[in-house]
Amino acid sequence: MFALLTNKYPGMRVWLSQRITAVVMAAYVVLLIIALLMLQPSDYAAWRVFAGSTVFRLATLLCFICLSVHAWVGVRDVLRDYIFNQTLRTYLQILVDLLLVAYVVWLSLILWGL
Amino acid sequence: MQKQSPNNRPKNLNLFTIKLPINALVSILHRASGVALFLLLPFMLSLLQQSLISATGYQAVSQMFNHAFVKLLLIACSWAFFHHFYAGIRHLLQDVHWMTTLQKSRFTGRVVLILVGLSVVLFAWSIF
Repeated sequence: MFALLTNKYPGMRVWLSQRITAVVMAAYVVLLIIALLMLQPSDYAAWRVFAGSTVFRLATLLCFICLSVHAWVGVRDVLRDYIFNQTLRTYLQILVDLLLVAYVVWLSLILWGL
Repeated sequence: MQKQSPNNRPKNLNLFTIKLPINALVSILHRASGVALFLLLPFMLSLLQQSLISATGYQAVSQMFNHAFVKLLLIACSWAFFHHFYAGIRHLLQDVHWMTTLQKSRFTGRVVLILVGLSVVLFAWSIF
């Protein structure tokens, strides 16, 4: 089974990373909803305490990194299916890649830079 | 012998005459909702930033969410999330060969649509 993850089968790694990131994000969302329902941060101070906790920061960053990998694969598949002009597709893919990296940086700044 | 050239074949590009089977419907909506969620990312990040940066920012965000129109937008966004979430779980289960016959996947497709509907209604009810 691990042979499938070597360089010989790059598509397998992409396929599997989309699945693994999906599981991580699903777990994060369920836990986040439970935490929000239990703690109910209903004003600014409570919300800052909630979002400032180390658990929230690390879990959210992890989830978002997974999201960017997941979205990278997803958008790549969509572009390959509908954009037939190679040049345009390459440029769109680069744009999406840059956006996703920028989003991860942006989120880190939001979580730690405040 | 008459041979029809491929160029003379009848075309059916009127999307309204094509009825999607439920599996195709759940699948294309999974893709559409995924693209929608991707396009929503900057707005989600911006709202998170606004809500955390200062008490005034937090006030502004919560006041914005009080508008009925914004709530409707939020409900539409929640549809994208719930559909992508439930249909994604269905895809994951199919990846491990659970419920993959045509009959069974039609059933799970219906379950996904029902769960999405219920979740969106519950979400709408909780914010209004």
